[in-house]
Amino acid sequence: MNPADSLTILLLMAGAFFFLAGTVGLLRFPDIFTRLHALTKADNLGLGLIVAGLVIQADNWAIVGKLLMIWLLVLLASAAACHLIARTARRKKILPWKR
Amino acid sequence: MILSLVLRGSVFALLWWALTEGNFDAWWLGGILVMAATEISRRLIPARTWPLMGLLRFIPFFIERSLISCVDVAWRALRPGLHIDPALVRYPLRLPEGFPRIFMANVVSLLPGTLAAELEGSDLFVHVLDGRSNYWRELTQLEQRVAQLSGVCLHAIPGTASRQDGS
Repeated sequence: MNPADSLTILLLMAGAFFFLAGTVGLLRFPDIFTRLHALTKADNLGLGLIVAGLVIQADNWAIVGKLLMIWLLVLLASAAACHLIARTARRKKILPWKR
Repeated sequence: MILSLVLRGSVFALLWWALTEGNFDAWWLGGILVMAATEISRRLIPARTWPLMGLLRFIPFFIERSLISCVDVAWRALRPGLHIDPALVRYPLRLPEGFPRIFMANVVSLLPGTLAAELEGSDLFVHVLDGRSNYWRELTQLEQRVAQLSGVCLHAIPGTASRQDGS
């Protein structure tokens, strides 16, 4: 196995780990706001690592650009969706969980 | 004006090139779409100067904060016990209306332990995952960066300092 493949495997596994951690957070955190924290942040880095792992395997720069575009669009969509869900929750007077 | 159009067109052409993975078989369709996108963007986004240095300095800052933010939330999710102390706080924005505020609201959700719940006038309501963390410093730091990025100056507003001490 060449070093590039090993690095890809490492990055993909790290990405999968953060997706898993985000999902664990989604299941364990107590309310809508805290769950959003877990999902948006962990998926942001999880996808970033997976994109980084795939960029190493790309045959040409166009594919690198396409992969980066996918990541940026998902970042944008997740930030906007997260904000919309949090705003709706606030407008529906859903109180944040308190310790 | 011409320069702005050429720049916009180049960006869209670059996107087309990436989307088709460098295949130019359908260049005529790409050409039409690039021209249409340039025209739409000209109508929707007024020409503005982009502080290139601010943008370049923002990228490493953003990547660093995202990394810390994800590790932080993953650690809180995975370790036994519930290590959170959430709170909803009001952050008075000093940024001008429009793009800077919307950009800030979007990026706040990707910073360590903060999530933009609502943008109401000049107030940003932020849900923080851990009220004991140094989230206020995180927010002011980001606001400063966004100001740099959009080429505006921040001035202190009355009440900010006392809120900072109180939190």
